[in-house]
Amino acid sequence: MKALLGWIDDRSGLVSAARKCMDAPVPGGACCSKVWPCTIVFAFCVQAITGFFLWMFYSPSAQTAWESVYFLQHEVAGGWLLRAVHHYSAHALLVLIGIYLIQTILTGTYRAPRELVFWVAVPMGLVTLGSLLTGDLLAWDQNSYAATKVRVSFLTLIPGIGGGLFKLAAGGPAFGHLTLTRFLAMHIGLFAGSFLALLILHGVLLRRADAAEAATTGKSVPYWPRQAICATIASLIVLAVMFALALQHGVSGDAAGVALGSPADPNPANFYAAARPEWAFLGLYEFSHLFPGEWMILPIFVIPGLLVCLVLAMPWIGRSAAGHIFNVGFTAVVLLAIVVLSIISVAKDRKDEAHQAALATERDQAARVLLLARAPEGIPATGALTLLRNDPLTQGPILFKTHCASCHNHVDADGQGIVAEEPSAPNLYGFASRAWIAGLLDPKRVGGPEYFGNTNLNTMSAQVRETLDELIDEEKEEIESIVVALSAEAQLQSQREADAKDAEKIERGTEMLSDWPDCTSCHKFHDEGRIGDAPDLTGYGSREWIMGIISDPTHKRFYGDSNDRMPAYAEFPDEPAKNTLTAQEIGLLSDWLRGEWYRAEESGVGD
Amino acid sequence: MENSPQTSSCCCGSATDADENRRGFLAQAIAVVLGAVALLVPAVVGIVAFLNPLRQKGLAGEFMRLTSLDVLPEDGTPRKFPIIADRTDAWNRFPNEPVGAVFLRRTGEKQQPVAALQVVCPHAGCSVQYQASPEGGKFFCPCHAASFDLAGMRLDKTSPSPRDLDTLEVKIENSDVLVKFQNFETGTKKKVAKA
Repeated sequence: MKALLGWIDDRSGLVSAARKCMDAPVPGGACCSKVWPCTIVFAFCVQAITGFFLWMFYSPSAQTAWESVYFLQHEVAGGWLLRAVHHYSAHALLVLIGIYLIQTILTGTYRAPRELVFWVAVPMGLVTLGSLLTGDLLAWDQNSYAATKVRVSFLTLIPGIGGGLFKLAAGGPAFGHLTLTRFLAMHIGLFAGSFLALLILHGVLLRRADAAEAATTGKSVPYWPRQAICATIASLIVLAVMFALALQHGVSGDAAGVALGSPADPNPANFYAAARPEWAFLGLYEFSHLFPGEWMILPIFVIPGLLVCLVLAMPWIGRSAAGHIFNVGFTAVVLLAIVVLSIISVAKDRKDEAHQAALATERDQAARVLLLARAPEGIPATGALTLLRNDPLTQGPILFKTHCASCHNHVDADGQGIVAEEPSAPNLYGFASRAWIAGLLDPKRVGGPEYFGNTNLNTMSAQVRETLDELIDEEKEEIESIVVALSAEAQLQSQREADAKDAEKIERGTEMLSDWPDCTSCHKFHDEGRIGDAPDLTGYGSREWIMGIISDPTHKRFYGDSNDRMPAYAEFPDEPAKNTLTAQEIGLLSDWLRGEWYRAEESGVGD
Repeated sequence: MENSPQTSSCCCGSATDADENRRGFLAQAIAVVLGAVALLVPAVVGIVAFLNPLRQKGLAGEFMRLTSLDVLPEDGTPRKFPIIADRTDAWNRFPNEPVGAVFLRRTGEKQQPVAALQVVCPHAGCSVQYQASPEGGKFFCPCHAASFDLAGMRLDKTSPSPRDLDTLEVKIENSDVLVKFQNFETGTKKKVAKA
């Protein structure tokens, strides 16, 4: 063994180099306060190892970035842990560099002959921040997309070249594929690469400074094994903290590890309103609010830039005792300001109801896209965003709020749901269901605000009141058959079982409705009556029927000339560009009104 | 390449010290230049490709029909309308995608009956929302709490937004509302269309 090592050393000098490293003098003896540089090396190793394996799963494009992270997080065994450890080791690295820099400033070890050691450590911190910012975007979920877009837009604050810098960072005039490829290259090639270079340089400089100090003071011990034990114990504690954070949401289930939001939506109208930066930037975020918009360049670029310059000047300022006290005091003030501003920011958001509501919506959306991605069809090649864009449960409420909720309510019996700006048309919650039709044919309710009370469709209310006001029990039962029969026209999935069970009743009700002149004198119903006076009841509430009435309520099959204020959303079937809504949007709205959207097998029907 | 005459170059052994220094300097200069050329050429090739985004252009502003006039509420309440256009992302083209949105609102004026505002906040590019209120409603940006009145003017003297909401040109043709949709640089005091 000894001969082999001797042979290797003779040819390469590696063994004696390693021995020199092990015997490197630690001035003042082994001690725990000198472990920080070693923990930084350790955290970087964790980053490099986990990052390499993440790289094997990652696919940087606007249609595959979120999807590949989803796959890793939810389909790959242990993938969530890999991602979580990479995430928390990045934050650990930042914290460790912060502690190391603060310690260096407090103990004044930035002074001669250690200025260069300090000057290399400061850019290590900056590179770590850059690494966090570029790594954050790669998941391509709503928060990382929106927060990064805001940050990159800040480049346009720089006079003259700002617009060009934005394009260079984003890889084009807008965020997309090339933003991801650029950010990935910066994350791995630029930031991780230059961090490694700085780390090696820092190690060499630190060794040299330690050796010089040991030579002058004469009090030192070799690094191996005592200081090595201290450093390893510290690294193991860092590892334990990383794992504690990574495992804080459990070891299984959807919440395990680091949350993945819903996929980034490039539609500016769906820009995520609750985007916030990572904790390390919260102080700066809140600080920027102290400035009016015209001066935003100050908190974003000028003041942070000056702070970094001042930190770099500390070895020079600290040459005198007073200068050192200034450095320590200044660091304490800046740290305190960052902590206070961060707390203010978090406290503000806690109290902000709109912010909390946006967070809740995003959580729902993330859970929804997860359910859709796990459906047997999986994620299409166009990406997971397609799943959400074609999902009635996601799009229905948005479309309803934009186009319908100026008049229509969509609220359940408890008053929960979408409340109209000025309710002046029927509440469409559970439209065409048995409960809804029962209310329609209830003399006490048809003229109320939930149905036609606020419209000029008085004929129907009057008719119902006149014919159905004083019924004997027997007739009430007949009305119930009509309700069931009319509701069956909609062929709602949620009533499929009930409709099958009540086939007889439906048949009876259909017959009665057809034979009842009070109805068919105005309404067409299958072979009875004619269209033109009131809405056709054939297929009432079916997908096709609802799409028809939204497209054009003035069509003679619906309200014709007696239409109240309901706008036509797709009047021109031959000229789609002139329509307010596309057929696809109307289809989504109809499906949502009918309560028909994808549900996971085990959760069953019902929301 | 230390300046020691003993290790002088192999071909001219009888050179004087002065000659040797001059040649030594020359040799160093040549080595530096050649090395720089060898490294810079591939770097320049890479940087040329890297700068390509500077040549890319954003959306061209064209008038497009958004809605018909009678859809807009008479009382001047703003309504949000999506802008549907073809979107290009590097090698992909997405036909008929939502690429933006505008607020349309009746102004009650004869000259300019409908006003159009970009939903993008001029501060940092978030999407402003309309908040109805008994006092008449306002636009609010949830990212940094900028607020604007219905005409798009900043409500707060220390607003994070450097300028008022961006207005867009509107044309009315046969009761159709047409808007010239454009995106603008964010963060700047002046309204500059994105190139």
